[in-house]
Amino acid sequence: MVKIKNLEASIEDKKILKGIDLDINPGEVHVIMGRNGSGKSTLANVIAGNEAYELDNGSIFMNDEDITEMSIENRALNGIFLCFQYPVAIPGVSMAYFLRAALNAHLNHQGKEEIDALEFLKNSKQILGELGLDDSFLKRSINDGFSGGEKKKSEILQLLSINPKLAVLDETDSGLDVDALRTVAKGVNKFRNNNNAVLIITHYQRLLDYIKPDIVHLMIDGKIVKTGDMSLVEKVEKDGYSWLEE
Amino acid sequence: MVIPGLKNNMINNFKKDCLKRFTSNGFPTRKEENWKFTSSRNLAKFENHVEEIPSIEHLNIDDNTLLFINGILDQGSLNNFKFNDKLNISDLDEITDNSILEFSDNFNEDSIFNLGISDFKKGFYFKFDEKLIIEKPVKIINYYKADQNFSRITSFNIFHVQSGSEISFEENDIYEGMSSFNLKLNKFFIDDNSVLKFGKFNQGVDQNHQLSYNYFTMKKDAILKIDGLNKQSIFNKEFIEVDLNDSGSDVNISILNLGKNNDHLDNNILINHNSESCTSFQHVRNILDNESSAVFNGKVIVSEGAQKTDSNQSNKNLLLSDTSNAYSNPQLEIYADDVSCGHGSTTGALNEESVFYLRARGIKKTDAIKILIKAFAKEVVDEFSLSSIQDISEIALDSWINEQH
Repeated sequence: MVKIKNLEASIEDKKILKGIDLDINPGEVHVIMGRNGSGKSTLANVIAGNEAYELDNGSIFMNDEDITEMSIENRALNGIFLCFQYPVAIPGVSMAYFLRAALNAHLNHQGKEEIDALEFLKNSKQILGELGLDDSFLKRSINDGFSGGEKKKSEILQLLSINPKLAVLDETDSGLDVDALRTVAKGVNKFRNNNNAVLIITHYQRLLDYIKPDIVHLMIDGKIVKTGDMSLVEKVEKDGYSWLEE
Repeated sequence: MVIPGLKNNMINNFKKDCLKRFTSNGFPTRKEENWKFTSSRNLAKFENHVEEIPSIEHLNIDDNTLLFINGILDQGSLNNFKFNDKLNISDLDEITDNSILEFSDNFNEDSIFNLGISDFKKGFYFKFDEKLIIEKPVKIINYYKADQNFSRITSFNIFHVQSGSEISFEENDIYEGMSSFNLKLNKFFIDDNSVLKFGKFNQGVDQNHQLSYNYFTMKKDAILKIDGLNKQSIFNKEFIEVDLNDSGSDVNISILNLGKNNDHLDNNILINHNSESCTSFQHVRNILDNESSAVFNGKVIVSEGAQKTDSNQSNKNLLLSDTSNAYSNPQLEIYADDVSCGHGSTTGALNEESVFYLRARGIKKTDAIKILIKAFAKEVVDEFSLSSIQDISEIALDSWINEQH
């Protein structure tokens, strides 16, 4: 589904990604772990097309289509969804307006009719209920005055509404108490099926207690240095990352 | 010196004094605090006076409208005005109470204010009945049509909302004809326990210059709400001065300015807290594109006896181009020790992270920018007290954004 080849990227002339290769197939959950500054969030942003980063080399394919030069919105319309680590607050734009605009952008792209207000509300309320959020959440401005947990639940609400092909979760587990973590994980598990894929970027094992990954990658200094199964997560929890540098 | 056409010594003396001050000082320079960021140089070119009375047949004037043609009340609209039996109107020539014509030092020392007083042809004192509740806003249409270029059109009117009343005005300026400098002077009395909501929508026309002086004096437990939308004006400067003279009064000023091309939009606001337990709130937002510029000169003076004052000033500027400019000068002068006063100002471009966030959900870049501009404006439009001004603002904002992006 997603093939990343020899990806190199910089920000403000500082090289962050130094040759990333990654193959993600439908139905798979991949995890990337690494220290702070190893390039994990940069990878998530580069996949989403964040123009703050300079792509120096390499390519990204989505279902055999080269999306390396594609705009941010076209990547999203082609199925890439970034769950933001720090979702930005946008006062003055309601969640309902934003979510419906995003959904309609996807429907237009797919050549389908836009969703009417009633159907949108019905679908959204069902997801809100599953995330333990009140219907009034839709009336609030995007992430404005949201608690840490509400921000991450808002990302999952968007994920479940838009239903993309690849969900990139950039440290979605950070700043969550255990109840919120369970709710977020429940949402991601609801999203998962054999036709989509999940890429989780995290520091910690605790999210992986609820979302079982198929493949684990360890990242150091802009490169994936080790790929394996869940046992790698346990080793990192126990020994940290220094053994990878020996 | 006697100015022809005036019956009354009081207004005659006022005009004479003002003319003397203007003649002595001339047009203001940038050295003067109120004119630091706005040049009055071009205003001096507007010396002609309108000769002909324009036709108004094409205007939609209903029985809820007071029409002013080139600054002078249209008698026809007054005759048809459904509240004219609840309104006492005097010609300013006939005013015998000197306090009605009193203004603040701030205005008296402003040279162009003096020019305006010396220059206006005919003004009226509108005194609404006590305990008058008018639910639907009264429309005030200022229709300007100059018959020659570089005309100066001056008006001076006084409105009095007596105690126990609640009145709303919805003011709209319409410009036609040749280039003009529209100099508008208004004074408002808001008596005990009364409410005035004053909504203004001002869309300029190329080469027209608008300058207004609005002076409000408020008594005990009076409420004033000002909603303003200004767009498309090469020169729009508005003075608002409010005297909170008795306890418990409250003023709330919310203004949105939309600037493009060479527009220049200037809000000069002075709130005088002269008594205790009054509140004031100023919120001015400017959205500026191309070479446009905006000025916020907001000042709150809390006098010695004005304890328990609660006051806030906020000015936020969104710059959509590298060549637009915002000058922000929020000021506080506090001489009381038990008050809550705050002020803040921000100026910046659209947040790139916000644009990225919206685009990452599939929303086109142009649409993301439009959404963010509207969101910036919405925070002040939501504060407008008159739903009609909110509706007009949303439509005007949409068209402005679509023209620009």
